[in-house]
Amino acid sequence: MLIAAILVFPSLAPNPYILSSGVIVLNWAVLATAWNFVGGFTGYISLGHGALAGLGGYATGLLITKAGIPSFVALILAAVLVAALAVPIGFAALRVRGASFVIVSIALVLILLLVFQSWSSVTGGSRGLVVPRPFPGMLRPEHHRAFFFLYGGLLILALATWWLLDRSRFGMGLKAIREDEDKAESLGTPTFAYKLTVFVVSTAFTALAGGLYALWFGDLDPVFQFSVLTGSYIVLMALLGGVRNLFGPVLGAIVVGIALEYFKVEFGSTPLHLVTTGLLLGLVVMFMPDGVIPSVTGLAQRLRKREQSSIREFTAADLAEQRKRDREGATS
Amino acid sequence: MTLETRGLRKAFGGVVAIDGADVQFQPGKVNALIGPNGSGKTTFFNCVTGMIKPDSGSVLFGDRDLTGRAPHVVARAGVGRTFQLCRVFPRMTAVENVLAAVRPGGLLHGLRSAHRQDETERAHGWLTRLGIEHLAGAEARNMSWGQQKLLELAGVLMAEPKTILLDEPAGGVNPALLDRIGTLVRELNAEGRTFVIVEHNMDLVMSISDHIVVFDRGRPIAAGPPAEVRADERVLGAYLGV
Repeated sequence: MLIAAILVFPSLAPNPYILSSGVIVLNWAVLATAWNFVGGFTGYISLGHGALAGLGGYATGLLITKAGIPSFVALILAAVLVAALAVPIGFAALRVRGASFVIVSIALVLILLLVFQSWSSVTGGSRGLVVPRPFPGMLRPEHHRAFFFLYGGLLILALATWWLLDRSRFGMGLKAIREDEDKAESLGTPTFAYKLTVFVVSTAFTALAGGLYALWFGDLDPVFQFSVLTGSYIVLMALLGGVRNLFGPVLGAIVVGIALEYFKVEFGSTPLHLVTTGLLLGLVVMFMPDGVIPSVTGLAQRLRKREQSSIREFTAADLAEQRKRDREGATS
Repeated sequence: MTLETRGLRKAFGGVVAIDGADVQFQPGKVNALIGPNGSGKTTFFNCVTGMIKPDSGSVLFGDRDLTGRAPHVVARAGVGRTFQLCRVFPRMTAVENVLAAVRPGGLLHGLRSAHRQDETERAHGWLTRLGIEHLAGAEARNMSWGQQKLLELAGVLMAEPKTILLDEPAGGVNPALLDRIGTLVRELNAEGRTFVIVEHNMDLVMSISDHIVVFDRGRPIAAGPPAEVRADERVLGAYLGV
């Protein structure tokens, strides 16, 4: 159904603005799904994924403008480089848990913002970085259409990878980390190696999304690329949809992504769109902490039938009966 | 394989929890580690299983030196453990809790299905053996304390450890279940597994143990068969303060 929607949407979009909004929503969907590799599987809440996307964007742009590498080769190479950079970042950040990890991920965003603003000889600093378009002769609507499909392909790839990990033994280990990291390690799961591996995978997809954004939008500003707000939106989307579900972050991205676009159109550049986003986050955390999909499916199950408890203790009478049967079995 | 510690020491600031402990557990037996509250039993367990790094001394398992190694390395070496406050994966089903203990192996092995038929059958086998098969599809958080204790043990057994450390297996369980746990330990021991049990329930300890080590103030003060330990004046002194 998702594939069909991706294939059909560009033909149904009434104007280029709606099509470009579709590209933005798909960008959010890839970012939220990529975030969910870490947040959904391991329970580590990163607010730094917006900055990892920014790194992907800048790496792609710089490889094109400084090294003269073709656009899509630069995109792939940038994702590899940022994923490689994720190893030392993850090595430091994943040593702490819970709120400490969240703070470290925020620190990453702020450090990168300072670096990319200050290092103007390479990054363009506050003036930003102009990234040449990969399809120079293409008109705007066609440009949007091409990137809508590119993002669609990347989203399908990210979802397929998440699904593969979800059903794998590796995924089981990651989910055990989410549930109780010490317990998982005591059962033989190399928790740090698992966390680092999935962080690198997550970063690769995030960097690809960031790189595609650079190629599509064509202009990078460090203030927007390295923003805690971007990371917060990603978390909001994943939480709203449901982090334990394959399509949860996609659903969240569609709802929040459309809402963000709507708020921007309605309220312009006023901070009101931030207030409404904050309210949305508050409502999700209060009423649907597991996200929309688990809440709705749970409600449907409850309406279908009242679940009967399958739980019972063994009573002394049960055990006595069992021992009696065992003795009879042994003597016969 | 023999699990032993030599000169194991761990201090938390000025409090010495383990004070140069030389302990040797008997392989193939049910060993018990007893002592008054605060005598360092759980810290000793945590040092042995890598949850806490000792300040000095060594932990040996057969010819392997496990001192300060990460918990997953200790687990893979063949030492499994349960926790004093029972720990399960609350939002996983019972069978998933057991499957999570399957050794992951290398990268390609890790990408194999977590629900392979042979392993799932083995997991159900342990649930059946421990009497909680009827809860296979229930989330662990919805199970009672006693059932969670059994589930925790099923997970440990799934990992096929040679030596199993049980931290207060009788804590908070009803008498019928206590009876069941005691029987299980003896049965599992008869199949070749070594047990080391930290426990305050002396009836259980005396009825299932072959060898008892008594801790006081972070070091062993007596060791031997139950009858011998029970009669030891140092043990009476540690427990009764006489």
